[in-house]
Formats: sequence, C-alpha cells, structure tokens
Amino acid sequence: MPDLLVEIGVEEIPAPVVLPALEQLRQAVDEGLTARRLEHGPVRVFGTPRRLAVLVTDVAACQPDEVKEVKGPPAAAAFDADGKPTPAALGFAASRGVAMDQLRVVETDKGSFVFATVAERGQPASVVIPALLTDVLNDLSFPKTMRWGDVDTRFCRPVRWLVALLDEEVLEWTYAGLKAGRTTRGHRFLGPGSGDIARPSAYVETLRDLFVIVDHEERENLIAAKAREVAATVNARPRLDPDLLTENNFLVEYPTCVLGSFPERYLALPERVPVTVMEKHQRYFAVEDEHGALLPYFVIVRNGSEAGSDIVRRGNEKVIVPRLEDAEFYLTEDLKTPLPERLETLRRVTYMESLGSLYDKTKRLEAWVSWLNERLPGLSEDERQAALRAAMLSKCDQVTLMVGDGKLAALQGYIGGHYARCAGEPEAVAVALAEQYLPVRQDDPLPATAAGRLLAVADRFDNLCAAFTLGLVPRGTRDPQGLRRQTQGLIAILLEAGYRLDLLSALSFGLAQIPRPDPAPKGALEPTEARDALWEFIASRLQAMLEDEGLSYDTVRSALGSHWTDVVDVIERARALGFLRRSAADFEAQVDTATRPANIWRGTDLPAETVVDPALFADPTEQSLWTVWGVARERIAALKQTAPVDYRAVWETLSQLQQPIAALFDAVMVNAEDMNLRRNRLAMMRELDRLYLELADFREIVQ
Amino acid sequence: MTFQQIIRRLDDFWAARGCILAQPYDVEVGAGTMTPDTFLRALGPEPWNVAYVQGSRRPNDGRYGENPNRMQKYYQYQVILKPSPDDVQETYLESVASLGIDPVLHDFRFVEDDWEAPTLGASGVGWEVWLDGMEITQFTYFQKAGGMPCDPVSVELTYGIERLAMYMQDVDHYRHLLWNDDINFGELRKEEERQFSTYNFEVADIDMLWQLFRLYEAEAARLVQSDLHLPAYDYVLKCSHVFNLLDARGAVSITERPAMIGRIRNLAGQVAQAHVAMRAALGYPLCHR
Repeated sequence: MPDLLVEIGVEEIPAPVVLPALEQLRQAVDEGLTARRLEHGPVRVFGTPRRLAVLVTDVAACQPDEVKEVKGPPAAAAFDADGKPTPAALGFAASRGVAMDQLRVVETDKGSFVFATVAERGQPASVVIPALLTDVLNDLSFPKTMRWGDVDTRFCRPVRWLVALLDEEVLEWTYAGLKAGRTTRGHRFLGPGSGDIARPSAYVETLRDLFVIVDHEERENLIAAKAREVAATVNARPRLDPDLLTENNFLVEYPTCVLGSFPERYLALPERVPVTVMEKHQRYFAVEDEHGALLPYFVIVRNGSEAGSDIVRRGNEKVIVPRLEDAEFYLTEDLKTPLPERLETLRRVTYMESLGSLYDKTKRLEAWVSWLNERLPGLSEDERQAALRAAMLSKCDQVTLMVGDGKLAALQGYIGGHYARCAGEPEAVAVALAEQYLPVRQDDPLPATAAGRLLAVADRFDNLCAAFTLGLVPRGTRDPQGLRRQTQGLIAILLEAGYRLDLLSALSFGLAQIPRPDPAPKGALEPTEARDALWEFIASRLQAMLEDEGLSYDTVRSALGSHWTDVVDVIERARALGFLRRSAADFEAQVDTATRPANIWRGTDLPAETVVDPALFADPTEQSLWTVWGVARERIAALKQTAPVDYRAVWETLSQLQQPIAALFDAVMVNAEDMNLRRNRLAMMRELDRLYLELADFREIVQ
Repeated sequence: MTFQQIIRRLDDFWAARGCILAQPYDVEVGAGTMTPDTFLRALGPEPWNVAYVQGSRRPNDGRYGENPNRMQKYYQYQVILKPSPDDVQETYLESVASLGIDPVLHDFRFVEDDWEAPTLGASGVGWEVWLDGMEITQFTYFQKAGGMPCDPVSVELTYGIERLAMYMQDVDHYRHLLWNDDINFGELRKEEERQFSTYNFEVADIDMLWQLFRLYEAEAARLVQSDLHLPAYDYVLKCSHVFNLLDARGAVSITERPAMIGRIRNLAGQVAQAHVAMRAALGYPLCHR
C-alpha cells in the first residue's frame, strides 16, 4: 500500500505554535483518513520553523466499495392510489441510478418511506486525499492568523510551497493559491536550496541532504548534545530549560551550538537576573559548574554550520553586554527606593484595565490572607503575620524598572523578594514574595513556605475572580491570562498543603471584593454568574488533572457530580473511587443498585419539601430499607467529620444498602397507583440518592 | 562600510527592484511607519513600492548622548512593498547580503514579533530579524491601519541603520560610528542628543505642550471634516509627538495614557477613512497604469 507525504512550506512559524499545530495535523489526518474509509498505518508528523509535514505509511490505494440504504420520499408521496410510482419516486430512483423495481418501502419511526439500495464505488485515495487536506488545513487553529499579498487564505504565516506525494505520484491539490509538487526547500543558506522528494519514505533523508534536520525530536536531542559538548570545553554544563530547548528547536533547521562568554562582574547580580536576561532576551542557555553555580558563559543555538562560529560568537557577546548593563542599571536605580515606599505608586497603576488599581488589588490580597488565616488551622502566628506583610508588598515590584522591562517581567516576585530583603524585611516575607507566582509551569516546585502558599492561593483566587467578572472565560485555545495554568497551580497548592476550603464561600468572598468594572466590557458577568462559571471552570480543571493521573473519564465525572465543596476532598474521593473500581469485586453490582433510586426519582415533579413518612410504609421491605438507611446516614455523617474522609469506609457503609434496595424493588412498585404511597417512596429514593451522592454520582459510571 | 554607504547600497538595491526612493517626511514622527508614504499608502487596493530613510524621534529614549546605543533621534530605513511579493523574505536577505554580510558565516533568524501601533490603530504580523543575536530589522505584514483591514497586504521592512552600521563597523558606541570616511556620528550628533535630551526630560514647558496638544487636536479634527485629510494628518502627527514629549516629561499619568492614545487613534482613523474614500473617488489611479 502506498505512503502519503504532505509538507506545508511556511515562512518562519512562531516557535510556540509549531508543536500544537503538528499535533492537530496528526490527529486531523488520522481521523480524516478513517472517516473517508481509507485504511492506513501510523501517522507521523515533522516540524521545523519553515515546514509542517505529515507522513502516513500504508494508505489504502482506494476506498472500499460501499452499499448504502438511501432514504427517499414518504411512501404516500411515492405511489398514487393505484400503486403507480409518482414523479417523486421516479426522480428519486433516477437520481440514485437504480431501477424502479429495486425501490422498497420500509416502515420507520417516522412513517413508511421509500428506500433504495445503492452501491457506491470506492474512490481512489489520490482523489479523496486532496479534499481532505484542504479541510484539515482550513480547520487548523492557531492563536493568531494573518493574510498576505492578495491571497484570501488565512494561516499563521504565509504559505510558500506545498508537497503532496502518494508514493511517487504528485497529488492534484491546490491550497492558498499554490499547486502541490514534489519540490521542497532546504536550509536558507546551506546546500543547494531546493530538491525533489522521490517518494514519501525518502523525506527525512532528502531534507538531511538539504541541511534540514526535519525530525524535531532528533533535532532537539542534537541541540542538547551539542550544547553539552560546547559547555564541556570549559568543564561546565548548560542549563537546558525544557521550554527554552523547545523554543530554540523551533527557531532552527540545522542546529549548531556556539559557546559565548560575558564579563564576570555580572555574576554579582542576583542569579536569576543574568539568567533571565540570557534566556528571555537572547534565548541562550545559561551555563553552570558541577555544583550548579552560574558561570559567565552561555550557549547560543545557531541556525547554520560551524562556518563563521567566531563571528557568531563575537556578535552575540556584543549583544548581551548592553542587556546585562541595563539590568544592572535597573537594579541600582530600583534599590534607591525601598520596596515598601512603592506602595503609594500602585494607586496609579490600573489593574486589568477597569478593575481599579494595583493598590486596590493589594488591599484585596490582604483581605484574602486574613480570610484564609481564619479558616486554615495549623499556621503559626509568625506565618500568618509574614503572609499579611507579604500580601501588602506583593505588587510593589510591578513599578520597578526591572519588571517594567517587558522581557524581564518573568523576574516578578523573585526580584520583589530581593528588594524586600535589601529593604530589611523579614526573610519569611522575602521568600513569600518570591514564591507567590509558583508554580509558573507545570513542573515548577510549589511554594515551600506557608506564607508563600497563602499569598499564592490568594493571588490566584483574586485573578480568577477578576477575569471572570470581566467575562474573560478561557475557551478553546484562547486563554490569554493563563487561567488554566493558574487554576492548576492553585489546586496543586491546596492539595499539597491540605488546605481544605469551602470553595463556594471562597468564590463568593473573592467575587464580592471585585469592583464592578467601569466601563463594563461586553460579556461581563454578574457575581452569581461569575461564581457558577468559575465553579464549572475549576471542575473542568479538576477533571483534566485527575484524568492525567490515570483515572478514567467517567470515574472523575462521577466524583465531580457528587455533593462536594472542597477541592482537596473531591480529589481524595475521585482517587478512592478509582481504587474501588480497580479492586472492589462488587463494584459493578453496587453501581447498578446505586443508580436505581436516582433513575426513578430524578426528573419527577416530587416537591422539594416532601419528606418520608414511615407511617405510610405498606410493605416490610420499606421499613427495613429505611432502618438501614438511617444507620448508614449516621455512620457516613460521622466518617465525614474527620479529614481526610475514609471513603473506603463510606463505600462499605453504602454497600449495606445493596440488599435492602434490591428487596424493596422486588417487593413493591415505587410508582404505585396510590399517589401518597408513590410520593412517599419517591421521597425515600431521593434520600437514598442523596446518601450515595456523599460519595459519587454513580449514574456517570459507564459500565 | 560607512553609514552613508549603507544607505546608498540599500537605495540601489531597492531602486533596482522597482521602489520609488522617497525622501524623509518633514514632520516629527516616532517611526517610518507613521509617514503618509506608509500609513496612508498601505490602505486601499493600489500597488505601492517605496523606500526611504526616516529620522525618527523617541523623546523617552534620549540618554544625553552618553548611552552606547540609545538616542532620542535615530534613522530607520523603511521599505514598503504592496502587495507583499511571494519571495519577499529571500529578497530581504539578498539586500542584507548586498551590504557584504555573507549569510553562511552569520546566524540569521526570524523571531516572532507582532507589531502594533496603538496611536495609529495599526497592527501587523511578523518577526524581528536577528543577525548573530542582534535585532537588525522589523519585518511586518500589515494587517490593519487606521482600524481598517489592509487588502491587499503590504509588507514593511524597517532596518535599524545605526545598529547595522555599528555591527558592520565593529564599534561599541554610536559616537564612533563613521558617517563617511572621516566624520563620525559623535561629531555630528552628540551635542544634538545632549540638548534634546535636556529639553525633552527637563525643560519642555508642560503647560505649553498641553495647549499645543489641544490646538493640534482641534485643527486635525476641523481639517478632516473639511475634506483636507492630508494637512489634517500632519496635525495628528504633531499631536503624537507632543504626547511623546509630555510622556518624557512625566506629565502623563498611567491612567491618562490610554485615553490620550485613544484620542490620537480616533483622529488617525478618521484620516485613514477619508484617504480611502478619496482614492476611491479618484478611481484608484495607481491601479490603472
């Protein structure tokens, strides 16, 4: 079976865009081929700054023929009173290419209709794939698209060439005004510039000859190896920050590493300052010795060969010095004003355009920390005080020159901590300031001190409440405030510290503090709307995080569908359910029982105030179930008094209900003719359902 | 290669590719983008290819002539090609090679940098072009100008000539940059930088500047209503420069900033609309040549 290769040649795609685009491509081509009935082998993707490529092995050369039942006009309209076909029937038969005597009348839910059995010839892959490719590219989503020249297509950057091969055959395909061929382009400056790809399987090697390492995993390994190699020449090692490695990988097609150096005196700066200058301004890897101490070197990832390495090194060394000089200048200037004296300046900085000033935000954070202090046990008085002081100083570094330099904004918090220390603030306050934005990325450490955690929790809650008040709810790939990441950080901190909070009260407290936006933007949410949207949003993050842990979709859904109010508790519950599902022999049987009360009462018009009246019990199974329920309820209420809740014990308690519920369903009709009996039984079902919901909504479990 | 040789090479290069060699605009601007040859010509369907040097003023960037690479006035080499040609990246790289920079011996990179000029309601998508780690050119496909979509799309190449020249001459302070073979930048421009930095940061009369801002704004608004959008645009540019001066004097609070930018953008948008209407009324003469 033939192989398929598609290469989209693009002007330099922004580095962070390439991997997500490749993943979309892989999935869309895989699913698209399947949906179009083209069997195929594995789908691989390759990417550089200038190309997105898909290679599929063993694609069926042709779709299989298909026999389909096609629905035509209603039988009543297809035949007249004499049973003769009407023009509607004749037209239908003609349009489907079948003879009249091949039409059949079939009874359906919606009445009887005429059907034709139609045999469709499978189309060759070379005909099916071009249309598929156009659909796939039109559906790609990018953070930002553009137009160029007078072409009507939108893409992340201008598309300049297309390759589409099915084995040796060039596919007839045009996109963005370009016709696909077999000619690809190589490295901009090395080698011959362009070359023909004989067949898909030759793709990677053909590009290698053109000085492009197209396999991005290979290229990334190469960069890492070369970076280590050049650092080793000064007995050092590069700090290969994973994000920076990926970014560099998608800035080059043929990587070479070059070692540069900077004057040693800049090592006197707080360590993250020169590191951030190198990483954020210039995309260099910082270099450290065997003990992890920073050295006055850096690794440049260059898009080219070894030729002219000295020129490249000298050029880069000239660029970094003024940058370091700027940072040193910022530090000296910033230290002329002690950090706490900057508080007043925050009044003049607006927060999120219409939600007051950063000073107002600081006041909210102080209120948040007090609120948390009252609710979280186990904090020492020193920790509480440090957190309060840190909240007050938390945003003072926003009006420093260092953070004001956009590229160095990543130093926020860290540099605030440094300035606080220089201003004589207690160490716990300085550390809390430095920890307030942790974790910035998924693999970052969490804040290690209580004051840092409190401030981090307060800041994230306030950011979420503010964003949702403005209606800035993340959707699809749009999450400019990074709220998903912030929420995941928040959950991770709550979980690790065991901070058990009533989420609804926290959200209500946070939203009540946010001023009404003036002017109110389109889509702004009222506090109750914002609270509900936030609850949904946090639940969706919990869902994603718990699935990442390996819990199945429906296990998580059933935990999140239960009555919960504390993030830590619901995570423990989901994990317990996951454990029970793997290990409890009677799990399925108990789920079956548990869903029966829910299935029967939910959706009825049972009034909220109806309560179970034992006097109305007409069958002994009702009383015995009611008794078991009462015992179970008390036991579960007791179990819920201690945190963490022993959910396996809750499960065992609930399993006591299994037999009496089955007995009741065997003995009586819940929906009895007598309305009093019926309401009473439905009310009992509701109580049972509520008790199960203390653990999970078992209706979400897909057996 | 001296500063003036670089300009002449680029002139020759772009003239040979069909660009008009325009002359700098004579109202203070913060960037070559703001001159009518870019901002207004980027609008509408008419083809347009132009190259020019534009002295650009950024009062906030002044350092009294002392900083090695920050000045309140510097030069941009500006190229506009509309519609953007298919091979514009390759042509651009040839232009740099024509300055004697062998691409095989250097590291060129196109690093994502989308551009936005809030006072003009203009934005584009593109890159900073890095030469051995140094940004030498802003490369932008215009998507919007005056709040209106650009169709067809123009490409804008803005070379930072001082940076390029410092790199090529291997000097680390602009003062040592050779303008021609025997006169350097310091001799020509240092006193100018000192005086303008002093004026911009310390001496400019804030009350007078506020008055000028209002006067210029009113005049721009009056002219744009009177079908004289070209003179109106001069006053928009003057507003913008006065705003930058006020900003350098620290007279614009953080909360006032967005509102003032909005006022200038509003005027620029009106000019842009009037310009598009005027070209349409003339029947887009450059489309029919």
